Amino acid sequence: MSELDLRPVDAIVQRLGRGSDAAIPILQAIQSHYRYVPREAMERVCALTEITPATISGVATFYTQFRHRPVGQHIIHICHGTACHVKGSELIQDAFQRRLGIGPEGDTDAEGRFTIEKVACLGCCTLAPVVQIDGTTYGHVTPTSVANVLDDFLHHGQEPRTLSGGTRKISDGELGEIRIGLGSCCVAQGSGKVHQAIQQVLQESGAPVVVKRVGCVGMCHQTPLVELIAPTGSSTLFSKVQADDAAEIVLRHFKPKGVLRRARYAASRWLDRLWSDEIADPSIRHGIDTRDPPVCAFLGPQRHLATEHCGALDPTDLDEYLRHEGFAALRRSIERGGPDWIIEQIRASGLRGRGGAGFPSGLKWAKVRAADGEEKYVICNGDEGDPGAFMDRMILESFPYRVIEGMTIAALAVGAHEGLFYIRAEYPLAVKRIGEALEQCRRRGILGEQILGSDFGFEIAVKEGAGAFVCGEETAMLASLEGRRGMPRLRPPYPAESGLWGKPTLINNVETYALVPWILRHGAAEFARLGTPTSSGTKVFALAGKVRRGGLIEVPMGVTVRQIVEEIGGGVSSPSRLETVPIFAAGSRENGTVPFSPQPQRRFKAVQIGGPSGGCVPAELADTPIDFEALAQVGAIMGSGGLVVLDDADCMVDIARYFLRFTQDHSCGKCTLCRIGTRRMLDIFDRICEGHGKPRDLDDLEMLAQTVRAGSICGLGRTAPNPVLSTLKYFRHEYEAHLAGRCPAGRCKALIHYRVTDDCIGCTLCAQHCPAEAIALTPYVKHAIDQEKCTRCDTCRQVCPQGAIVIE
Amino acid sequence: MPKLTIDQRDVEVPEGATILDAARKLGIEIPTLCHRDGCEPPTSCLVCMVRVGGDHRLVPSCATAAVDGMEVESESEAVHQVRRTALELLLSDHLGDCLAPCYFACPAEMDIPTMLRQIAAGEMRGAIATIKRDIALPAVLGRVCPAPCEKICRRGHLDGPVSICLLKRLAADVDLASAEPYVPTCLPESGKRAAIIGGGPSGLAAAYYLRQYGHACTLFDENRQLGGRLRSEPQQDSLPAAVLDAEIATILRLGIEVRAGVRIELGQLAELQDRFDAVLWACGRTAKEQAIAAGLPVSQRGLQVDPRTYRMGATVGVASRSGTLVPDMPSRSGTPVPDRLGAELEALPFALFAAGNAIRGKSLVVRSVADGKEVALAIHQYLSGQPITGWPRPFSTKIGRMTHGELLQLAAIGPLSYQERADASSLSLRERARVRESDEDISSSSDTPHAPRPTPQTGIALGFSLAEGRQQAARCLHCDCRGLWTCKLREHAIKYHANPRRYEARRRVFQVDARHAEVIYEPGKCIDCGLCIQIAAAAGEPLGLTFVGRGFDVRVSAPFDRSVAEALSRAATACVAACPTAALAYKDCSALVPRFRKHPCASTD
Ligand SMILES: Cc1cc2nc3c(=O)[nH]c(=O)nc-3n(C[C@H](O)[C@H](O)[C@H](O)COP(=O)(O)O)c2cc1C
Ligand code: SF4
Ligand code: SF4
Ligand code: SF4
Ligand code: SF4
Ligand code: SF4
Ligand code: SF4
Ligand code: FES
Ligand code: FES
Ligand code: FES
Repeated sequence: MSELDLRPVDAIVQRLGRGSDAAIPILQAIQSHYRYVPREAMERVCALTEITPATISGVATFYTQFRHRPVGQHIIHICHGTACHVKGSELIQDAFQRRLGIGPEGDTDAEGRFTIEKVACLGCCTLAPVVQIDGTTYGHVTPTSVANVLDDFLHHGQEPRTLSGGTRKISDGELGEIRIGLGSCCVAQGSGKVHQAIQQVLQESGAPVVVKRVGCVGMCHQTPLVELIAPTGSSTLFSKVQADDAAEIVLRHFKPKGVLRRARYAASRWLDRLWSDEIADPSIRHGIDTRDPPVCAFLGPQRHLATEHCGALDPTDLDEYLRHEGFAALRRSIERGGPDWIIEQIRASGLRGRGGAGFPSGLKWAKVRAADGEEKYVICNGDEGDPGAFMDRMILESFPYRVIEGMTIAALAVGAHEGLFYIRAEYPLAVKRIGEALEQCRRRGILGEQILGSDFGFEIAVKEGAGAFVCGEETAMLASLEGRRGMPRLRPPYPAESGLWGKPTLINNVETYALVPWILRHGAAEFARLGTPTSSGTKVFALAGKVRRGGLIEVPMGVTVRQIVEEIGGGVSSPSRLETVPIFAAGSRENGTVPFSPQPQRRFKAVQIGGPSGGCVPAELADTPIDFEALAQVGAIMGSGGLVVLDDADCMVDIARYFLRFTQDHSCGKCTLCRIGTRRMLDIFDRICEGHGKPRDLDDLEMLAQTVRAGSICGLGRTAPNPVLSTLKYFRHEYEAHLAGRCPAGRCKALIHYRVTDDCIGCTLCAQHCPAEAIALTPYVKHAIDQEKCTRCDTCRQVCPQGAIVIE
Repeated sequence: MPKLTIDQRDVEVPEGATILDAARKLGIEIPTLCHRDGCEPPTSCLVCMVRVGGDHRLVPSCATAAVDGMEVESESEAVHQVRRTALELLLSDHLGDCLAPCYFACPAEMDIPTMLRQIAAGEMRGAIATIKRDIALPAVLGRVCPAPCEKICRRGHLDGPVSICLLKRLAADVDLASAEPYVPTCLPESGKRAAIIGGGPSGLAAAYYLRQYGHACTLFDENRQLGGRLRSEPQQDSLPAAVLDAEIATILRLGIEVRAGVRIELGQLAELQDRFDAVLWACGRTAKEQAIAAGLPVSQRGLQVDPRTYRMGATVGVASRSGTLVPDMPSRSGTPVPDRLGAELEALPFALFAAGNAIRGKSLVVRSVADGKEVALAIHQYLSGQPITGWPRPFSTKIGRMTHGELLQLAAIGPLSYQERADASSLSLRERARVRESDEDISSSSDTPHAPRPTPQTGIALGFSLAEGRQQAARCLHCDCRGLWTCKLREHAIKYHANPRRYEARRRVFQVDARHAEVIYEPGKCIDCGLCIQIAAAAGEPLGLTFVGRGFDVRVSAPFDRSVAEALSRAATACVAACPTAALAYKDCSALVPRFRKHPCASTD
C-alpha cells in the first residue's frame, strides 16, 4: 500500500480545533475523507492536538460509526431494527451474504465492491425490512429480491438524489398547492425525485400551483406522499407516487377540470388494498381522500401537539412557522412571563419527560434554575437509539423551529446561554434541517445576543453522535460531548447539579421541548386536561411492525393499546413476506412477478412498547391505557415511544433475544452486571433457541435478569432485562416449548423444518428459487425438501403460489 | 456530619464520606475490587453492592455518598447473592489458572511450580520446604511415582514435560545428604494422642503432619521395620532401602512413638480407648477382611469412610461437584451396612478414621501419601474441636486445554526466552534422564547429590546433577498465577463461595504481553476496572493505556496495538500495585510470596 496522504488531517484539525472535545468531530471528518479511520491519521491527530493516543483510540473503538479497515466501494446497510427484525432482516442479511459470497465472519466481498454493515433502524420502519446501499434506500426487501436490489443499485442507484429548493412559486395567481412529504421515509421512497419531476412539469406546463415541501405527515406506510390542495381547499392525498407519475397527477388535477373527482373514484377501489403497506404497485397512483374511512380512522383518535400542523408546514420555512404562531410562546415568555412563570406553567401542565423515564419536567427545570453557577447548559437529547423508534427524527426533521423554540424557552427559564443538540449520526437529514433552521433563527434575531430584542442571549450548536445507543443516557451523552467514550457514570450527582464540563445542565428529549410552546400558548390547564391524572398531554409513537397502517402518531395519554392497534393501525396486517417484490429505488420500475398465494389471517399477539428497555403488553391486556404508571404496572414502559405490533408468527423468545442482543451489543462495558450479565443471559437465549436449553435455564435467566436490573449502574443495564422479564411473565409457555425443542411461531431456525404438503402442484418455483439447492426440480410432481441442505431461508415458502410449503 | 445505620448499627461519618467509608468505620468488611483510594471510583466491579432503604435496587457502596438517615443493608443473604453473582460473572469471563494444571494432576496437590522456581533459583532449602508441605516422602516418590503430573504438564505439548518427579527427587536427595536435613516446625503439644495402625506410606505421612499439628502419635506396625508396602511391593529396584530408611528417619525425628512388631486388629479397638483420642486405621489392604470379620461397613475396595474426612461411621457420602456431600448409594458398597455399626462406633470414645490402601485396596503410593496428609487435617480438626470439613478444595479458575499458539505465547514470557529454554530441553525428557548411558558425566560434576544410585544397566532413573536440575526446572512455564497471593478477585470469590463455573461460557483466547522487562499483562485476567488507565494518565505516560472496544468486548490495552512496555514507561509499578487481579503482574513474583505462608488451598498452616 502506498503512503497515506495525511495532509487532509491537518486541514481537518485546523477546522475543528485542537481541544480534547474535538475528538469525535475530528474522527468523523477523517472517516468521511478516508472512508475509514486509518491509524496513521489518528497518530497525526495526536501529534497536532491535545488529544492523547489513549483518548483517541479509546474513542475511535467505542463508537460503532468508526471503521478501522478500508471498506468496499459501496456500503450496504442492512437494518436490524425492531420492525425490520420482525419482518425478517436476518433472512435478508443471509441472502446478501450468500449473494455476495461473504462468509459468516467477513463483511466485504472478494472484489471489494460491497461491504455489509448491520445498522439499528434506518428510521423508515414502515418500509421494513429496509436496506440502504450508499445513499439509496430499498424497502420491503425479500430474500428473493436481493439480486434485483443489487442489480438495480449498480444500474440506477448511484445517481445522486437531490433535495434542492424550498417553497417555489410557479405563478402569481395561486390556485392550488402541492405538498410533497420530505420526511425520511418519503425521501427513502424517492420523494426527492418526485419533487423534481413535479416542478419540471409545472414549469413546462405553467400550471398555477404552489409546490411545497412538508415534513412527515405521519402516514409513513404510504410514502412518498403527495398532497394536492385544490383551490377550494379540499385535499387529496396521493401515496406511493413515483417520479414518472408526477406529470400525470399534476396535469390531471390542475388542467382539465373535474378530474379530481374521477381520480378519487378510481382510487377508492384501490383503497383497501393499498392500506396494507406490503402491496405496492408502482404502476398505479393511489389517491387518498382524508375523509375516506381508513384515513379518518388513522387520524381519528390522534391529537397533534408536538406535531401540530403536521403535513402542512415546510420544515425550514421560518416565515410559515411564524404565521402559525411560531415563537409566540417565546415572545410571551420574554416579554411578560419570565423564568418563574415559565417553570410554574410547565409544572402545572404536569409535563413529564418524553425521553423514557417520565421525570416531571417542571421539577427538573426548577432544579437547574436553582443550581449555583453562572454558566449553564441546555441540551436537547436527539439520540433516539431505540431500534424501533423514529419520532424524534420526524420531529427534528419536520418541526425544527418548534424544538428550537422549546429549548430557547427552557434556556430562559433555567438561566442558560448555551445550548446543544445531540443528534444521532444516522439522522443526517435531521442534522441538516436543524442546522438550516438555526441559521434562519440567527439571521432573524431569534437566536444570538439579544433575542427578539431583549437582553436575553442564547446560542445553540449541533453535535452529532457516532453510533452508540448508550449515549442517549444523559451522563454518557455528557461524556460524549466532552469528547470521551460514552460511558455513563453513577448518579447522583445529576446533570442538573453537575453536567457538561461540570456545570448545571438541563437535558430533555426532543418531544419534551416540542411540547413546550404549545403548553405556553394554550396554558398549562389545557394541556393537563388531556391525558390521565398522572400522565398529562399527548405522546408521539412510532407505530410499526405487523400493523396495516404504520407511521408516526400522536395520541392523548389514556388511549388504550387496543385503540392504537385497531383504530389507528387498522389491526394486524395481512400476511407479510409473500406478495409482490417491490423495489423502491430511484427510477426503478423493477417489480416482482410472483403471484399471490393464500395465507392464513394473522392474529394480534402483543405490542412491544419502549423497545429494548420496555416490555410486551399481551393482547389480553390490550385495554391498558397509555400512561406511565399503567404501562409500568403491566411490565412495559412508556419508553421513548417505539410501538411494535406483533402477531402470532412472531416468536416471543426470539423477540426477547432480539432486544437483549441489542442492549448487550450496546452496553458500554463499564459495569460487571451489565457487561457480562447481559451476555450470559444472551448465552442462555442462544442455547434455548438452538434447541440446547436446559431445565435450569429459565430460573437462571430470571435470577440474572433480576440481578442485572437491581444492580447495574445506568438505565441501560437496569432496563435491559425488561423484555426478558415481561415475556417470561406472559409467554412462559413459549419458553417451555423451546426447551422441549419446539418453536411455536416457527421462527427459530434450529427448531423448525420446511415441508412440502400435498397441495403442491409441481410448479417448480420453489426449486428454482431455493438458494441452497435443497429442492430437486420435478415438474408436475410433488416437490420435496432435502433437510440436510436446507438453510431455512424461507424463500420457498414465500414463492410457493399454493401455500404448499409449511413450517413445522 | 451524616448519621446512618448499616445493618442496624449507627455510625457517623464526615461530610462527603461514602457508605464504604462508613462500613469500614464499623468494621464491616465490604468487598471491593475496583475501588482505590486516590482514584476516581470506576464503579465497575459491583462487588461492593449494598442495599439502601429496602429499595429493590442496590448501589455501589464505594461511590455512593453516605447521607443522613440512610439505612444500609450489607451483610444479608440478598446482598451477598448480588455480590456473589457479580463475582461469578467476572469469573465466567476470566481466563487464568490460579493453580497450575500440574497441581491438580498431583494426587498430593503439591505446589509444583513453586518448587520448580525454587530449584531453578538454586534455593534447594526452600524447595524441600515447599515439597514437604504436601509430600512426606519425596525421596521415595521421586523414585517410585509414575508422575501423573508430567502427563498433564503444559510443557509436554511443546517439547516434553518438565521432569517434575526427578526434580523433586533431586531436592529430596540434596536435603537427605545435607548436614542438617529439613525439619518442619511443629505447633506446641496439644495434649491429644493419636494411634496410627500401620506404618506404610499413609500412616507415615499422617504421623508426619499430625506431629506438626502438635498431637502425640504412636505408630503401630506388625512388622519390625516401618515402610509397609514400600518394602513389600516390587519396586525395590528403583527404591534402595537406604533411601527409604533415611526418609523414614526424617519423619520419626519429629518425635513419634513406634510400636513395631505389634499387630492390632479392628476387633481390638476397645483396647485402645484409654490411651488415645483418635485412631487412624492405615494398615493397608488387609483392612477389608478384618472389617468384614468385625462386621464393619466396607466398600468394594476397603473400609467405608466419608470421602472428604476419611471418618468411619459418620456421614458417609460422596462429594458432589459443588463440594457438598450427598449420601452415597448403598448399592455402591458391596456389603450392606450393618445397622448396629453406627451405634457401636458412636459408643467409642474416639473417632475412627481410615486412609490409604485400607480404604482403597490398591492405589498409587502418592495417593496413600496424600491420604495421610489429608486425614491428618481431619483428625486435627476433630481433636481440636473444630468442624470436621476435611481437606479443602482449592479455589481455582481454569483455562483448560490451550492451543499450540497459546502455548507459544505462554512460553514467551521471560526470564529465559523460549529458545533458551528449548535448548535446556535437550536433556529434559524424562526418558532420556532415565536411560542415561554412563554415570560419568554426573560423577564428574562436583555438585552431585550423594543419593544412592542404581546402575545404568537397569535403565532406571539416574537423576540430575544440581546444575542440570536448575536448567531443567527453569523450563517450567509458570502456569500458576502470579497473583495467587495478592489477587482480590480470588480472595473474595473464596469468601463468597463463588463458583467459577457457574455460567457456561465460551472462553477467550489466551494472550499475554510480555514485552515489558518486568511486568506482564494478561488481558484474560483483566476485569476492566480501568484503574491502570487512570494511573498511567495521571503519571503523564506519553502513550498510556486505554479501553479498546465497547461492551462485552471491551479490553484494556495500549493504544494502536503498541506494547505495554511502551505504554507504561514509568507507571508500571504503580499499575501493578493497583491491579486488583494479576492482569498486570511482575514477571518474577517470588518477592510477593509470603515467606512462611499458608498452604495455597488451606486456611491451616
Ligand atoms: C440507555 C438509555 C438510552 C436513552 N436514550 C434516550 C434517547 O435516545 N433519547 C432521549 O431523549 N432520552 C434517552 N434516554 C433518557 C435520557 O437519559 C434522559 O432521561 C432524557 O433525555 C431526559 O429527557 P426527558 O426528561 O425530556 O425525558 C435514554 C436513557 C438510557 C438509560
Ligand atoms: S449498565 Fe451497562 S451501559 Fe450502563 S454503565 Fe453499566 S455497563 Fe455501561
Ligand atoms: S411446493 Fe409450491 S412452489 Fe414448490 S413446486 Fe409445489 S406448488 Fe410449486
Ligand atoms: S428449502 Fe430451505 S434453503 Fe431452500 S428455499 Fe426453502 S427454506 Fe430456503
Ligand atoms: S488473577 Fe486471580 S482469579 Fe485470576 S487466575 Fe490469578 S489468582 Fe486466579
Ligand atoms: S509447565 Fe510448570 S506449571 Fe505448567 S504444568 Fe508443567 S510443571 Fe506445572
Ligand atoms: S489490568 Fe488495569 S483494568 Fe485490568 S484489572 Fe488490572 S488495573 Fe483493572
Ligand atoms: S428502519 Fe429498520 S427497524 Fe427502523
Ligand atoms: S416520512 Fe413521509 S409520511 Fe412519514
Ligand atoms: S464498584 Fe465499588 S469497588 Fe468496584
